[in-house]
Amino acid sequence: MLLNPDEEAVLKPKQKRRVELERGRKMSVFGGDSWGREAQYRKRRIDEVVIEGVDDSSYKKLSSGKYACLVCPHNPIFDTPLMLSMHCKGSRHRAAESKMKEKELMRLDEINKRIALSNTPTSSVNSSATKQNAHLASKPLIQMAQKAASEILSDKTPKHNLRNENHDMVLRQNDIKYVTPDFCQSQSFPANETSNELLQKQLDFQERRERELKFTSAGWKRDGHGKWYKDENVEFDSDEEDPNSSV
Amino acid sequence: MYLYHLTLQQATGIVSAINGNFSGGKIQEIVVARGKILSLLRPDDLGKLQTLHSVEIFGCIRSLAQFRLTGAQKDYIVVGSDSGRIVILEYNKEKNIFDKVHQETFGKSGCRRIVPGQYLAIDPKGRAVMIGACEKQKLVYVLNRDTAARLTISSPLEAHKSHTIVYSICGVDCGFDNPIFAAIELDYSEADQDSTGQAAGEAQKHLTFYELDLGLNHVSRKWSEQVDNGANMLVTVPGGGDGPSGVLVCAENFVIYKNQGHPDVRAVIPRRADLPEERGVLIVSAATHKQKSMFFFLLQTEYGDIFKVTLEHGNDGVTELKIKYFDTIPVTASMCVLKTGFLFAASEFGNHALYQFQAIGDEPDVESSSSTLMETEEGFQPVFFQPRGLKNLVRIDQAESLMPIMDMKIANLFEEETPQIFTLCGRGPRSSLRILRPGLAISEMAVSQLPGVPSAVWTVKKNVNDAFDAYIVVSFANATLVLSIGETVEEVSDSGFLDTTPSLAVSLIGDDSLMQVHPNGIRHIREDGRINEWRTPGKRTIVKVGSNGLQVVIALSGGELIYFEVDMTGQLMEVEKHEMSGDVACLDIAPVPEGRQRSRFLAVGSYDNTIRILSLDPDDCMQILSVQSVSSPPESLLFLEVKASVGGEDGADHPASLFLNTGLQNGVLFRTVVDMVTGQLSDSRSRFLGLRAPKLFSVKVRGRPAMLCLSSRPWLGYIHQGHFLLTPLSYETLEFAASFSSDQCAEGVVAVAGDALRVFTIERLGETFNETAIPLRYTPRKFVLQPKRKLLVIIESDQGSFMAEEREAVRKEFFEAAGMGENGNGNVDQMENGGDDEDKEDPLCDEQYGYPKAESSKWVSCIRVLDPRTATTTCLLELQDNEAAFSVCTVNFHDKEYGTLLAVGTAKGLQFWPKRSLVSGFIHIYRFLEDGRSLELLHKTQVEGVPLALSQFQGRLLAGIGPVLRLYDLGKKRLLRKCENKLFPNTIVSIQTYRDRIYVGDIQESFHFCKYRRDENQLYIFADDVVPRWLTASYHIDFDTMAGADKFGNVYFVRLSQDVSDEIEEDPTGGKIKWEQGRLNGAPNKVEEIVQFHIGDVVTCLQKSSLIPGGGECVLYGTVMGSLGALLPFVSRDDVDFFSHLEMHMRQEHPPLCGRDHMAYRSAYFPVKDVIDGDLCEQFPTLPLDLQRKIADELDRTPGEILKKLEEVRNKII
Repeated sequence: MLLNPDEEAVLKPKQKRRVELERGRKMSVFGGDSWGREAQYRKRRIDEVVIEGVDDSSYKKLSSGKYACLVCPHNPIFDTPLMLSMHCKGSRHRAAESKMKEKELMRLDEINKRIALSNTPTSSVNSSATKQNAHLASKPLIQMAQKAASEILSDKTPKHNLRNENHDMVLRQNDIKYVTPDFCQSQSFPANETSNELLQKQLDFQERRERELKFTSAGWKRDGHGKWYKDENVEFDSDEEDPNSSV
Repeated sequence: MYLYHLTLQQATGIVSAINGNFSGGKIQEIVVARGKILSLLRPDDLGKLQTLHSVEIFGCIRSLAQFRLTGAQKDYIVVGSDSGRIVILEYNKEKNIFDKVHQETFGKSGCRRIVPGQYLAIDPKGRAVMIGACEKQKLVYVLNRDTAARLTISSPLEAHKSHTIVYSICGVDCGFDNPIFAAIELDYSEADQDSTGQAAGEAQKHLTFYELDLGLNHVSRKWSEQVDNGANMLVTVPGGGDGPSGVLVCAENFVIYKNQGHPDVRAVIPRRADLPEERGVLIVSAATHKQKSMFFFLLQTEYGDIFKVTLEHGNDGVTELKIKYFDTIPVTASMCVLKTGFLFAASEFGNHALYQFQAIGDEPDVESSSSTLMETEEGFQPVFFQPRGLKNLVRIDQAESLMPIMDMKIANLFEEETPQIFTLCGRGPRSSLRILRPGLAISEMAVSQLPGVPSAVWTVKKNVNDAFDAYIVVSFANATLVLSIGETVEEVSDSGFLDTTPSLAVSLIGDDSLMQVHPNGIRHIREDGRINEWRTPGKRTIVKVGSNGLQVVIALSGGELIYFEVDMTGQLMEVEKHEMSGDVACLDIAPVPEGRQRSRFLAVGSYDNTIRILSLDPDDCMQILSVQSVSSPPESLLFLEVKASVGGEDGADHPASLFLNTGLQNGVLFRTVVDMVTGQLSDSRSRFLGLRAPKLFSVKVRGRPAMLCLSSRPWLGYIHQGHFLLTPLSYETLEFAASFSSDQCAEGVVAVAGDALRVFTIERLGETFNETAIPLRYTPRKFVLQPKRKLLVIIESDQGSFMAEEREAVRKEFFEAAGMGENGNGNVDQMENGGDDEDKEDPLCDEQYGYPKAESSKWVSCIRVLDPRTATTTCLLELQDNEAAFSVCTVNFHDKEYGTLLAVGTAKGLQFWPKRSLVSGFIHIYRFLEDGRSLELLHKTQVEGVPLALSQFQGRLLAGIGPVLRLYDLGKKRLLRKCENKLFPNTIVSIQTYRDRIYVGDIQESFHFCKYRRDENQLYIFADDVVPRWLTASYHIDFDTMAGADKFGNVYFVRLSQDVSDEIEEDPTGGKIKWEQGRLNGAPNKVEEIVQFHIGDVVTCLQKSSLIPGGGECVLYGTVMGSLGALLPFVSRDDVDFFSHLEMHMRQEHPPLCGRDHMAYRSAYFPVKDVIDGDLCEQFPTLPLDLQRKIADELDRTPGEILKKLEEVRNKII
């Protein structure tokens, strides 16, 4: 049947309403005794089970119902918990996880270490030594050297340690600083002759050493007989001091 | 280490600008792209450029175009970016934001050869847009509208041609026929195949027309013809009913009119008379002006000269092409001719300018024409002209631009509260040293001396409805002075104010009466002149007053509060008394809410370190609503009301709120939110402002209430784009202030300081820095600070220019020829001073016209000692013999007599093309004379390469010469080579030292950590980076850490791991470092990358500094585009978590405007590592309110708390 346009316009809202009513009724029946609700419930249950396997702190449920992985550095977003759980099994996530754990452990270590260090009182020399000891556990040689050094320093008997003086480490600026206060302290000790003599000797040695370093850094070299000669790659001033004459 | 990245000053350079009516109607606006920032500018009625809106798009804007649908009133913006998407934006006037109308994906992201985005062309009738890549791909989108008149965009139509390079594209105006696009293309397929290079030599550029068949929905190549191989740009010629259609092809030395089926019309571009013969003239930017009856083009050459191009045309096409000299302005990246008679010139480097047209070049001037073009055996006959002063244009405003920042250092040379940032900016004759200070610029309108030292100042209107203030009232220790504001400001005695006593407050009360509070009473002056006087009981005096328009509360000595209200008849009536426990330190009444009789809240500060909120409601009058304890006695109180906003001018959504601000005696400003119903105080924030207790005053900023805080320097607290900003003003210490409004200045401030009355206005709101510029002569390269002497030593060098004396000679010759000899002489002195001051009357200043061009092998350079305090150059040495300075450092040689010396690395006859070559390099050693104010050359030492890096090291000089790191000692006649290491991969560009370590930066291969052993006199490289970074800036952070920036716009930190560092330091025999095997073709140890972030702009300088007194140190950077930013290390884990979550949500909820993914952008070259993007987080207040709330919920906070966090972290930086 053909309706004229006016009639159609009149009829339309009514028809629409009926359709809506029908749909409404159908929905209520549909939800009442069908498998749908159960399926949905089952699905939710699966989601819960799936998500149980994942650590709570490693993801975050967003307001959109999606999940963001907090472990991976770029925080990927997943639509469903299943995807999240699959992602959590993935190698990249695992790598990120282990990295994070490692970081966490390192942090703990660091905290422990700092706590431990903050508990040791004693002088600055000692604390710096222990501080270095703490993370040099895997370096026995350095540890040994340090131990020896600290022993000497804490004994306050300025013994001349040749082995120690031979390398320039002690002469580095910071280390000079670290040695000098001790000498100053030692001077305030009951001044016995021998220690003073030794001290003088040591100072002499240092001075000589310093002068020698000055020459090497200026480009002089020593030959087999201990004579100084000029390095051919280095330029010298016309009135440069000759170490051979000055020593 | 986690860092927070924040841009402190947005990029100031402009890469592209378009104009149109973006907000609809007749208002002319300009949209500019500043690299990653899109802003909308509008010249206001006074001809000042105002930035309406500015947004970071987290992508690189490569091209901009505007179009308008036929019959529409509004222009849309098309953006070509690196997002692989075409984005169409519309400016939303109501919300003051850009709305994304369309976003169509067509390719991969990034700036790639064959992914479109580089070029945009619009059909002049707005029916189609072409987006092109540098090579091969071109896509055409058809634009249309649907039934609801909304813009629609079609799927793309391909106009690809492989093996072609595109130089320029443009739309061809052919009325309402099928849209046509023109392109300059070069086919390289043959050149690619031919290994002999013959085909490459013969490659030919073509002009190709692409036609979009709207019926078939298909693009075809319609026409292709050879053009000059020098062709570089196309300009659309109006068509349809308005003109002859076709295009102007701008080529080297020529402008050619071309159209299908039309013979070429060619004219030569006039040349400057002093231009060397081998140099061509290229057009770099163009603008079209079209009116109903006529049209013309303005073309600018690479030397800055603007030519007006007109076409003679009739029915038989174009008969003549005329090019007439118009004016000369600095070289632009884009020019926009506005219909309102302005020319906006977005400068390539240096400040941008807005010009007004005085004429359109109708007067006779040098002109070349196609009809007089002469061809001889040697080629076409050139036309010469001499640049002259501006005739057709007049500059009315300029916008500051730091682009490019060449070097930056931060130091407190002026001993101010905060350090100054010294930046070397600009290029060639437009270069400058700019001293930036955090704070708003102010402009002083008047300063007048007063007869005594005033204690306070107020301004009052006579009636609430008045626009302007009527009186300025100044209080002295024992008198009050009343000044009336009119044409002039003069003292009056008939105002009714009591002038024999000091005043405590003066204000307008009720609708039209005035109130003066003095220690002994309140004087109420009615509009008709009647005076009511209220006297204090007994011998008590008034100590503090708080009032708004309708309510007054006074505090008497001893702590009694008396509350008055204005009743119906306009009388001031005592309502209530209240005894406080002790003396009152300060008072304030909240402003009366709109539509109410009274405000409910009175804030009272007491000396027992508390602030109380008291109710003023008749029901519970003088009841204490809440109490807040503070760290120190309060000095001043101010309620600041923030009106609700939904976008709009403010650019952000926020609800109405009331803040109580307190200035404490210890110099802290304390802000709390007052609950508008209960009066409870919550959400307190505090900030240290200065050593003096802040006094708070209410002022108006852009019509909204704002707060002026006077501590040891003045601060302004105001709302800008949703952020509450508390910014210092660059002004001296003030005692008391009041807002000031007169017909000369709508929003000013009147203040007293010392015995002077000052009137000023606050400018450039929203900006972080204000600058002082000192002009320089050539492109500055590097500089060193001498903190003790407070001097700077700057090296400047330029290629292809003449020496100052040669220039002067030429100039003199010119002036003599022009009969202006005496003026030419005047210029000699100016030259000596080093810079050209534009204010001086100079018919041909270099800043405007550029230096005369010389061959590219010619270098000019100078070393300058500058006193930044007085902005004077105390010494300027121009280098001779084609030498140019590239590096500078100060050095103290050990046990040598001279003290501090200056080392400058130079190159002689450096050439980059056809092959990098040089005659030789030198290291100059200068001695400082006259307390560092002048220099004397001690000697210079020849070296084999360009010394690009110099540094002091253990009383010697380290120099990076090409791939060689060399240690020099000072000799009598030259530097003495003591030690060297030749194992660096390319070229050393930076050297930093710390103790015995040397951190060397290579131009292509990032950092190398070295150690110098004195006992062996050897330099060892013990660690390097695995990533080949092209280093542009470097900074030493700590013993094991270096910060660097590469030329692709990344900032990164590398660190040597702790155990490696220990091993190196504690190598007992020294054998390990010597004999250890290299790894990966490099050093035995590798540094780790601990921080990585893509800035999106080439960082040229890095420095660690703290911009606020007592603040944490952060790494500051400056970029080529003229922006400044900071990287602040986080100190707490919680903050890192909070901001990384906020960033995550912002990425999700607020994707960038131009379609680039934020994460992908920040990881453009290397994945972003441990940096949180504060620029994205700071966009939070621009989100709609519900979205803000949603994100806040996710973070278990309120939007207010998030804003507070953002404010806090910003306050840590600046």
